[in-house]
Amino acid sequence: MQSRLLYDIIGLALFAGVILFGVPALFGYDGFELNTFSRYLSLAIVSMALALSWGTAGLLNLGQAATFGMGSYAMAMHLKLKASGDNLPDFMSWNNVEALPLIWAPFHSLTFTLLAGLLIPAAVGGLIAIFMFRARIAGVFVAVITLAFLVAFQLVVIEQQGLTGGQNGLTGLAPLVLFGWSVDIYSLSFYYLVGACLMIALVFGLYLTHSKFGLILRAIREDSERTRYFGYNVANYQTIIFSISAGLAGWAGMLYALVLEFASPTYMSVSFSLAIVIWCAVGGRESVLAAAVGAILVNLAEGRLSDVFVEGWHLLLGVLFLMVVMFMPRGIYGVIVDAGRAMRRKPVSKKEAQPFETSLNPKRES
Amino acid sequence: MSQLEVRDLHVTFGGLRAVDGMNFDVEQGEILCLLGPNGAGKSTTLDLICGKTQPTGGSIRFQNLEISQMWEFERARLGIGRKFQVPSVYKELTVAENLSVARSVKPGIWHALTSLPVRNSAKMREILDLVGLADKIGEPAGNLSHGETQWLEIAMLIAQDSRLILMDEPTAGMTIQETDRTARIFRSLKANHTLIVVEHDMSFVRTVADRIIVMNQGSKLAEGSIQEIESNEAVKTAYLGH
Repeated sequence: MQSRLLYDIIGLALFAGVILFGVPALFGYDGFELNTFSRYLSLAIVSMALALSWGTAGLLNLGQAATFGMGSYAMAMHLKLKASGDNLPDFMSWNNVEALPLIWAPFHSLTFTLLAGLLIPAAVGGLIAIFMFRARIAGVFVAVITLAFLVAFQLVVIEQQGLTGGQNGLTGLAPLVLFGWSVDIYSLSFYYLVGACLMIALVFGLYLTHSKFGLILRAIREDSERTRYFGYNVANYQTIIFSISAGLAGWAGMLYALVLEFASPTYMSVSFSLAIVIWCAVGGRESVLAAAVGAILVNLAEGRLSDVFVEGWHLLLGVLFLMVVMFMPRGIYGVIVDAGRAMRRKPVSKKEAQPFETSLNPKRES
Repeated sequence: MSQLEVRDLHVTFGGLRAVDGMNFDVEQGEILCLLGPNGAGKSTTLDLICGKTQPTGGSIRFQNLEISQMWEFERARLGIGRKFQVPSVYKELTVAENLSVARSVKPGIWHALTSLPVRNSAKMREILDLVGLADKIGEPAGNLSHGETQWLEIAMLIAQDSRLILMDEPTAGMTIQETDRTARIFRSLKANHTLIVVEHDMSFVRTVADRIIVMNQGSKLAEGSIQEIESNEAVKTAYLGH
């Protein structure tokens, strides 16, 4: 149905209108509120990235936070070097590191940092994907393997104090300088920067899901075995989407480190990774746009409600997730699609007689 | 040279010899029917040709190319299509999308990334007219009846345009009229395609088969035209048990 593409474009236009014009106006261009919302927008990117692998291809990546964390550390390493000037970053001297470690050196360059924040997560995701999908691992085992990777990766980051700042992460960062513009994270321009990144990610994601590639991925999600007999190299398709999703998560991580002005191993925690799954499920994993909206709504609710229920917030989030799974398994997106279908339901015009004997079969017309 | 040459094909499942020394050739453009009692190894033979099952011995040559060690998607790209016993269409995709997936002339990722799926082409309408699903083009396949699902899968195989099509019980669950129509379609496919069909419906086999191979306990019991098979003593014994 071509109309699906039309609805997605209308949806994206509405969403862009609200995010780019509605939200700043609603908050009276208040710097603090805009900064908070920039955080939601960067999280919307990681949620839509999960919708690409989970919703479109059926690959539940519970390690999304690991690649997200890689992106955030890439950005933070660049800003930390900038903040330290000619000296060694402070935490390194505390850990008796004498000289700048080799893997830190290239992060002096902004170009390298921006590429690394996107490509390293994509490469790591792709590498894990090659091993998993060549071996035809599917379903819940993908979730288990990616979760195990996440836990192991977080441990390594915490252990390697001299390289990563350990449990404290990377703090005391300098502001990013982009083409001579020193980024003020409480400004409207920064909000637009994050907003633009989200829009680009969404346009890219919508293109992917509507392309033939997206169609083949949906076919693979439904019946990967059958799809092989049509000549598609299923493992390659899965690897590519997994890697794209990981790359987008890294990109979101870079923005997130900018917004919060630090990078921490908590970005790679299991609870954060599961939270991404919840945002994606609440919005609707079948649509990248809905997953982005889900991330914004849940985080907005968390921002407002966690002030009121400090301790009980996680309980509320859990209940919300249970409700979604039980009563709206396709998320907000599913509710909207079903409502739209119910409204369009009209008496079926009887076409001329069926050409063949298929009319003997019971007809079920929508 | 035959299009498909199967030589001394073996497969063992935990001690059970499912296919035990099969030898046969299939010529370009013929319809070969595989007959035999349950468990004779008919579906397994199709599985071995399309790559679902790896043989424990023997060779399969398709267009003079050894394929028995290839991945299933590589065999599909060479021109081997398969219809399974249980209708397997993509229920969440529309009829048009199902055909678009099946029409895999260019199965590579780069092509898929740089093109939009075809949702309505002359070729697609022609195929859907042939199987009588033209007015269902935008319908999710999950909404189709059992018979229509069978048709859709046949339509998908026509769209895939494989040179060799392996059909496992294509008429299961069809009415007599639908079976007749399937037989007509199969005969029209013969011009450009070779078909290997596993089927129990003898009247269907009588209409479509150019040649018949009867299997029993994993190996070939008899081979020949329908008249030769019907008068074959060994076949009578295997079926009737005396």
